[in-house]
Parts: sequence; structure tokens; C-alpha cells
Amino acid sequence: MISEDRMVKSEKIFELSALRRCYRVGDELVHALAGVDLAISDRDFIAVTGSSGSGKSTLMHMLGFMDSPTSGKMLFEGRDVSAIDREERSRLRATSIGFVFQAFNLLPKLTVLDNVILPLIYSRKSVKNKSILAIKALKRVGMEHRATHTPGQLSGGERQRVAIARSLINEPRLILADEPTGNLDRKNRMSIMDLFTSLMDEGITLVLVTHDDEVATYANRRILMQDGIVIEDSTK
Amino acid sequence: MNPIGDIYTGAINGLREVWSNKLRSLLSMSGIILGVAALVAMVGIVQGMLDNMRASFERSGGVLKLEVHPSEAPESQQHIAGISPGMTWRDISAIRKAIPLADFVSPVVDMRWERFIANGRREGGLLQGVTPDYANIKKNELINGRFISDYDIEVKSPVIVVGPHIVKELFEGEPNVIGKQVRVKGQVYTIIGQIKPVGRARPGVRNKFNYEARFNYIPATTAMSRYKGNDEINHIEILASNRQTMPDLIEQIENTLIQTHRGILDFEVRTQEEQMAELVKLEKSFTYSLGGIAGISLLVGGIGIMNVMLASVSERIREIGVRKAIGARNYDIFMQFLAEAVVISLLGGLLGLFLSIGLLSMARDLIPGGENISLIPISVMIYGFLFSSLIGLASGVYPALRASRLDPIDALRYD
Repeated sequence: MISEDRMVKSEKIFELSALRRCYRVGDELVHALAGVDLAISDRDFIAVTGSSGSGKSTLMHMLGFMDSPTSGKMLFEGRDVSAIDREERSRLRATSIGFVFQAFNLLPKLTVLDNVILPLIYSRKSVKNKSILAIKALKRVGMEHRATHTPGQLSGGERQRVAIARSLINEPRLILADEPTGNLDRKNRMSIMDLFTSLMDEGITLVLVTHDDEVATYANRRILMQDGIVIEDSTK
Repeated sequence: MNPIGDIYTGAINGLREVWSNKLRSLLSMSGIILGVAALVAMVGIVQGMLDNMRASFERSGGVLKLEVHPSEAPESQQHIAGISPGMTWRDISAIRKAIPLADFVSPVVDMRWERFIANGRREGGLLQGVTPDYANIKKNELINGRFISDYDIEVKSPVIVVGPHIVKELFEGEPNVIGKQVRVKGQVYTIIGQIKPVGRARPGVRNKFNYEARFNYIPATTAMSRYKGNDEINHIEILASNRQTMPDLIEQIENTLIQTHRGILDFEVRTQEEQMAELVKLEKSFTYSLGGIAGISLLVGGIGIMNVMLASVSERIREIGVRKAIGARNYDIFMQFLAEAVVISLLGGLLGLFLSIGLLSMARDLIPGGENISLIPISVMIYGFLFSSLIGLASGVYPALRASRLDPIDALRYD
């Protein structure tokens, strides 16, 4: 189910070249990304692996427009990201990119439906019936029957499904998932990965950070990071 | 950008937050609730009391009323002051005859505090001797009977117009006391008129402090012959035809009385303008000082809201991170927290207004002369409500700014 709009867009979603990100921690300069060259294309399902401190999360923050590079070049759909202002970055986060977190990060006081609607509100799209779209997104993850519940009433696997529905509501081109199965048991882990696979089949590009080799096998491309650089980039 | 939509969404989120943290919200509102209630109740009570004073002032003739009182002759006339006959009935006749600008003129023969006896009961009251014109000067309404007539003056009738206090204390339960008799200072009087009580009738409430209700009137000539034995009067009350000719009227009164007092300046003309100005000054000073005190308590309420909002921002750092990660702009977060602060203060303001109605209702029943206190002093309520929303707005800005400036990555990492 690849939309027509998506077909006409650049096949390359992200192009990163010599991307660096340095932090100053006290007197020490930490190179979280030490020159990353990477291209992410449509319908990629990438598993980013590597030990702690290898730069996986910083890379995800860069791809999610939450952080800016210290040097190097980063293009999104052919546009130089350094020229995109803060307001536009927020809009892109709401419309073009979906986030899935390890800790689900659903807002506990909102219902499942309201949680799913949130990115739609922030996207400022003039949608007449937001609830219908939210129910549609919940149906894609098999959670429509829980629409009126609060996150506290759901199991871990169900919460992650709702979080995935939230990431889907604006029909994003790319979903960034940071250890999405890290808090789940094996059964739920496999179930969520099956869901991601089906989303990829629907034409969504996925970048997934994981420590779990079994989870990484679901991806069709595997990137291994170490000391802020990509040391291995293999495709199935 | 759709500011109306942002405000609406912010208000809905704010209400949701208030509802899901009921106790915390109520505690943070308490400053505003008490501040608004205190502001509205205090200013409302003062306004009611001053309205009461103004109504009483108007009933006693307002700014058109003049009073002529005896005074000490000036130093230069001290040695010949004895040639003046003092304030007498002749002054009344002279003013009536010579000064058309004076619409109504009445002497007041003051008996001061007397004991009234009827039905085997005794009660203290004020007794004054006056003429028919006095009914137009003092503007006392009668519920039964009539006021003193020219005939009563002429024949020195032993009649009395009684005030509500004496009726209530000596003739309790009798709606009409016309024709009944009352003994004052050894003399028996027939009641010819009954003055209407002023203010709200409150069954079972004895208003001991209602001074005006204690006045009772007999013909001035009766008072002079029965108690004074001469034609001396205590003072003169005059009602001017209009405010513009007041200076002329005062001059004419002085000129006339200089003649009747044989050139001795042993009287003074007093106007009520100064009293009116004092009343206005009093109203302003009360309103500003009490409003100021209540304003300070509202400010304290605002600080309370700011404190709670800052705590709320600290508690919800992760939520802010999530919202930013899924597309919220700094502006969206700012509006969300600002709207919450405003919703808390508006709800607090509303509850404060309801509380103030209760306080004003209590004040009406408990404060002597409080029957003029309005339960819903609209203008004060509007000011109170606007002030509370401004306080909410001001106290919400800093926490909202803090929330909106949080870095999404740091916020998402926060535990």
C-alpha cells in the first residue's frame, strides 16, 4: 500500500556523509558520531546494532531532527537539514517520521485514542474527524478494541502496539524505533517484530536500534556501529 | 498557526490536568479562591455600607439641605451678644416670609433621648418638635396615618408621629397603631402617623443600631409649650429649591437672621456638601485600601499557582519530551502549560465569586445596616475575575517558558 505521494518522492530518504556530533562533557570532548556515511532508502528495514556508547541513539536523534550535527552533511529528501528551522523540524517529526520508544512513552492520563491522536494535533493537518483516523491506525495494530482504555490498563505488548499506532497516524515515510522490544517478553517481542515486518510490506521505511540479534534478523539491512562510526553495513 | 485552536486545545488539556489532579489543583486554587472572595466581599460590603450611608444622606435632604445652628458670637461682638434673642420661632417666620429660594423650612425642637411608655412597656427613643415642612426635608415615608399638619402647629396638638423602633418595641405585632396613645416625659400623645421602616424587613432580627428608626416627631409648637416654655428652637432645617441658587440662599439666610438676631452673628449655616465630599473620600479610601489588601492576597495566590505549575513541569519532563518527539513545537508546550495555569486561576476565580456571594449574604444578615449590601456586586466581580485571570496568566508564563525550552533529548532521558 505505497501511497502515490510516496512514490514520487526521492527514493533516498536520508543521505549522511561524514556526519559528526561532538559533546563536551566537562573538559573532555566526546565524539558520539565520528564521521558517519549512510544512505537510507525507501522501504529499507534497517537494524542498527552496536554496544553501548557506539552512537546508535545519537544517530536516531539526528534522524529524528532532535539533534543537529557538529559537522558533515545530512540531506532529508534531498534537502540540507541544516537549512531546516526548528519549527519545520517539529512539523517533520509530526508528519514524516514516527517514533517508537523502548519505554512506550504513552501519556498515562490520556486514553489510547487520545494518545494516538496527539501527533495528528501537532501536525496541524485540518482533519475533520481525527478519531476515525486514530481508530484506523489502531486497527492496523489490532488495538481498536482498547481505544477507550488508558495505558495503565494495557499490557506491555499492547502499549507498544498503541505506540506504533501513534507513530502511524500521520502516515509517516519513516519510523524510528529505539529498542522497541527491550521491555517485552519473547512472545510479545516476536509479535511486535511481525507487526514491523507487515508495516515494511505496506511501504514504510523502518530504522530500528536493538541489542537483540534475534530482533535484528527481521531487518533486511544491518548496520553495526562502533565508536561513532558505521563499521559494517550489510544487506540480506 | 491557529491561536483560537491553540487556546481551545490548551484549555481542554488544562481542564483534563485539573480534573486528574483534583486535590493538587484545589490547593493551588485556594489562594485565588480566597483572594477573589475577599476582594469581592470586602469591596462589596464597603460599597453596600456606603450606599446605605448615601441613601440615609439622601433621605435627610441630600446636598440641598441646609442647617442653621446656634454658634458663639465672634470676639468683636462678645460684649453685646446678649442683645440677640437666640434662635427662635421668629427666625422661621422671617425665613418663610423673605426667602422664596427656601422650598421648605422647619425648626427642630430637640428633646433628645426620652423614655416612651405604652402597653405597659418602656423603650428609649428620640423626640423632636418639627413642622409639616419637615416631612419634605427628611423624606420619611409613612405607612399609616399622616404627618404633622399646620392645624397641629396652630393648636399645639398633643399628637405624635412614631418611628419604626417604638412601634416594634411598644406595639409588637400590631400593624396599625394610629389612634393609640403613648406617654413621653409625663405627657400623653395620640399617634397620628407611623413611619415606614427603612431597609429590608428581617423577621426575628433586632437591629439595635438603626439610629434613624428611633426618631419620633411632635408639633414644634407643642414641644415648645410643653417642654421649653418659650419660643426657642434648637436649629433650623431648610431644603433649597436647587443647587445652583444655594450660595444666594445662604447669603439671604444670613442677611435675614442678622436682622432677627439684632446684628449678632451667633448662628452658622451648615451645608451637606462637605459631608457628601467626605463620604466620597471615605468610599475611595475604603475601596482602595481593602481592594489593595485583597489584591495582595490574590498575588500570593498567583505565586501559589506558579509554584504548583513549576512542580507540574518538573513532574512532567518526560511527557514534554514525548510531546516534542511526536511533533509539538515549543509554542505548543508553552500554550499547554499557560492554558493550564489560566484554567486553574479562572476556576479559582469562579469558585471565589461563589464564595463571595455566601460571604456577602452572611454580611447582609450580620452587619447592622447591611441590608443595602448587594449579593452580586457586578462591577467588583468583573474586576475580581479579570484580576484573577491576569494573575493566572502572569503566574503561568515562567513555568510555561521553562517547559517549552526543555531539550527533547534530555527530557526523554529524564526519569
